[in-house]
Amino acid sequence: MLELNHIQKYYNAGTVHEMCMFNDFSMKIAEGEFVSVVGSNGSGKTSLLNIICGSIPLDSGNICINGVDITHMPEYRRQRRIGRVYQNPAMGTCPSMTILENMSLADNKGKPFNLRRGTDKRRIDFYREQLRFLGLGLEDKLYVKVGVLSGGQRQAMALLMSTMTDIEFLILDEHTAALDPKTAETIMELTGKVVREKNLTTIMVTHNLRYAVEYGNRLVMMHQGQAILDEKGEAKAAIRIEDILDKFNEISIECGN
Amino acid sequence: MSIIIGILEEGLIYAILALGVYITYKILDFPDLSVDGTFPLGAAVTAMLILKDVPPVLTLLLAFLAGALAGCITGFIHVKLRVRDLLSGIIMMTALYSVNLRIAGKANLPIFSKETIFDNPLLQQLFPEALKPYRVTLILLLITVICKILLDQYLNTRSGYLLRAVGDNDGLVTSLAKDKGLVKLVGLAIANGFVALAGCVYCQQKGFFEISTGTGAIVIGLANVIIGTKLFKNLRLPGRDAAAEGGAKRQRGMKATTAVILGSLVYRGCVALAISLGMAASDLKLVTSVLFLIILVMSNRKGKKVVSHA
Amino acid sequence: MKKGMTRILAMAMAVSMMAGCSSGKPTETAADTKEAAANTAEDTTAAGDTNESATEKAEMTTEEAYTIGIGQFAEHGSLDNCREGFLKGLAEEGIVEGQNLTVLYENAQTDGGTASQIMANFLAKDVDMICAIATPIAQSAYSAARDTKIPVIYTAVTDPVLAELAGEDGTPVGEITGTSDKLPVKEQLEMIRTLLPDAKTIGILYSTSEINSASTIEEYKAAAPQYGFEIVESGISGTADIPLATDNLLEKVDCLNNLTDNTVVSVLPMILDKAAKKNIPVFGSEIEQVKIGCLATMGLDYVSLGAQTGRMAAQVLKGEKKASEMKFEVITEASFYGNTKVAENLGLTIPRELSDTATELFDEIVTE
Repeated sequence: MLELNHIQKYYNAGTVHEMCMFNDFSMKIAEGEFVSVVGSNGSGKTSLLNIICGSIPLDSGNICINGVDITHMPEYRRQRRIGRVYQNPAMGTCPSMTILENMSLADNKGKPFNLRRGTDKRRIDFYREQLRFLGLGLEDKLYVKVGVLSGGQRQAMALLMSTMTDIEFLILDEHTAALDPKTAETIMELTGKVVREKNLTTIMVTHNLRYAVEYGNRLVMMHQGQAILDEKGEAKAAIRIEDILDKFNEISIECGN
Repeated sequence: MSIIIGILEEGLIYAILALGVYITYKILDFPDLSVDGTFPLGAAVTAMLILKDVPPVLTLLLAFLAGALAGCITGFIHVKLRVRDLLSGIIMMTALYSVNLRIAGKANLPIFSKETIFDNPLLQQLFPEALKPYRVTLILLLITVICKILLDQYLNTRSGYLLRAVGDNDGLVTSLAKDKGLVKLVGLAIANGFVALAGCVYCQQKGFFEISTGTGAIVIGLANVIIGTKLFKNLRLPGRDAAAEGGAKRQRGMKATTAVILGSLVYRGCVALAISLGMAASDLKLVTSVLFLIILVMSNRKGKKVVSHA
Repeated sequence: MKKGMTRILAMAMAVSMMAGCSSGKPTETAADTKEAAANTAEDTTAAGDTNESATEKAEMTTEEAYTIGIGQFAEHGSLDNCREGFLKGLAEEGIVEGQNLTVLYENAQTDGGTASQIMANFLAKDVDMICAIATPIAQSAYSAARDTKIPVIYTAVTDPVLAELAGEDGTPVGEITGTSDKLPVKEQLEMIRTLLPDAKTIGILYSTSEINSASTIEEYKAAAPQYGFEIVESGISGTADIPLATDNLLEKVDCLNNLTDNTVVSVLPMILDKAAKKNIPVFGSEIEQVKIGCLATMGLDYVSLGAQTGRMAAQVLKGEKKASEMKFEVITEASFYGNTKVAENLGLTIPRELSDTATELFDEIVTE
């Protein structure tokens, strides 16, 4: 269970460019929930993810995972429980290392990075199997450098790598936005498969309303640092794309656009 | 013949330095200028220890550790104190100048009369008379190859994987729940360890420590690395076309570390060639720069071609 | 593979092309040196005579030709004079450049790495002898030539014992010998006392990275009290430190004394200018420094130091003695050089007891 309590976050505090991102924002995400987060640009979606991961510090409030306060835990320590896939496919893999080496890196997450062999030969078959699951033929390219793969292939690997070890949360930061529609579709299907298979608590930020509607069991719409729509279970299942679009228009009118 | 020996000797010493620079420049993507200070640091430590009758072989290890410590400090300045990479190196390089003088006690410390790894009673017995002229070269070759193998081995450990990842994509290291700063620090330590080791070997081979030897070490190191990686790295060994096998098998391209060592020999060869063709020693730096530029431009051209065909 | 080879070839070609452009340089330098040697020969008639007889001797005695590699650590007056003297000394013994002597000259421009490269090159060219000018390059020469039979002759090494080029008693550590340019410290202090009877403090600038300077400073400090002086030293780590250090030192001292410190000497004109503005005399350590505006020196004549070295070299080349059998030599008597123009500017007169014994007095300040 992830809890965000009374989060306060200002950008450029104390300057003329001061901007309030979150003011007393609270949210609870229960285990096993797959939350799709939508919202216009600057509504605080990515900031939310960054706050959870610890990439940006808080002004006040706290964050708890299963009751443990992690507000002051450095980013890299939090990542032990979190897997994150970024919008940019290059962020999730090492281009100058081979597919096998990348898989080994991900596999060693949480273990001490000592002087033992980087690639455990006994695990190679397991990696192959995992790659076969992607259905992209990567299992036959173990010794190819990731840098020569396409964006979609890399993103698929990034997804696989971030979910390879036991994690509690999967964070997807517009992870299909930089891909062509066909590849995006594939990656999204994969995401659904992985999440279902491993039963991961997932937060997915997306601009694709169809994905937001089709995937997940909870939908949150962010606006000016507030969740203006938050539906789960059957209510979520009933939401159609048009409903969200209507809501968007509503906001726009409020803002005077 | 003696010119070839000269090239090999100098080239192999600077190859060790180049392995260190390879770690910072190519793997960590960190332009580490502290090299100009750690190279003479290795020499100063060695000269001082040898005068205190420490066994010459042990000085190799101790010089490496001294360099590693200096590298740690550069890393600390960069990672913890958040000073830019270039500046951290400059700060360390400047500080080391004074430190080196302190360690050696003076600017020039001869150890001609002492035993070194190249000149000791055991070696005199061990080496057959016929091999005597090649003694220094063979020992240097041995040390360089050991360094290369150790580095290759290290880069294939879990820790080595992280090191390679951090220069490539430090975000991934964070994702792996590891402190990227610490990984950089380790990398800088190992790199400067190698550089100091090169200084140690240099000092023992020349028979004296001289404060001015560090000047330009980074340029030589960079030249070696760039020449090596640009000229040899993409050279495929004949008969094994890995691309044709679709990457299912391990690729047999030349290892970067081997390429760097060869680069160092080529660089020395070019310098020796330039001098023996009558070029004034004072123009050498210009030769280095031009050589540098030619190789960079040549490899850029090639890179473009590949892209346009793709 | 093929591509790689072409690239290496192309590179080698490029380098040789570049080298080709300036390959005229060494001969040019050699010509310069010869010209300079000729000039000094004209100046001193005695040298002219020896030169002539030397030429005759050369024609008479030997058909053998020699190649000497001269490696000089830095580019400045004293060391240049050493080289010039060295060739003169050789010529006196019948080994004349251009006739039976080929000289390869390289300057390391104070870079240790270049110094060893130069030595490797000399070895490759199979020279008959290496002449090394100044301490660091002498050490490079020794370490490079240790395993060969090529003798090394050095000059301008202040303390060959400290540099481990000679044992405590002056015997060489190998096939290496030469001359030391140890400064006559006591004579210099005595001379300063004669010129400035009321002075109490002497300021000395030196670079911490030059071993010669450090040992000379110690000698000055030890000897100064005997003559009623106190030494104020100021260590610098590079030319950039000198302006501040000079200003600082000039506030505290009655006069400055200059060593053979390469770094300090290279910016001597600036120091002289600052001192002149404050009307503080600067003493030099050798003739070139007096020429450009130091008041006086009890110093070395580097040309004759070089000549002495040249004569030693000739003995080794001709096979009369082995380098390892010859102890290193020093110039025992110091010679007085003064600059009357500087004295006039400072409102001083050089006492007769000094000017009468002067080897040379300058009446102008030569600024190049």
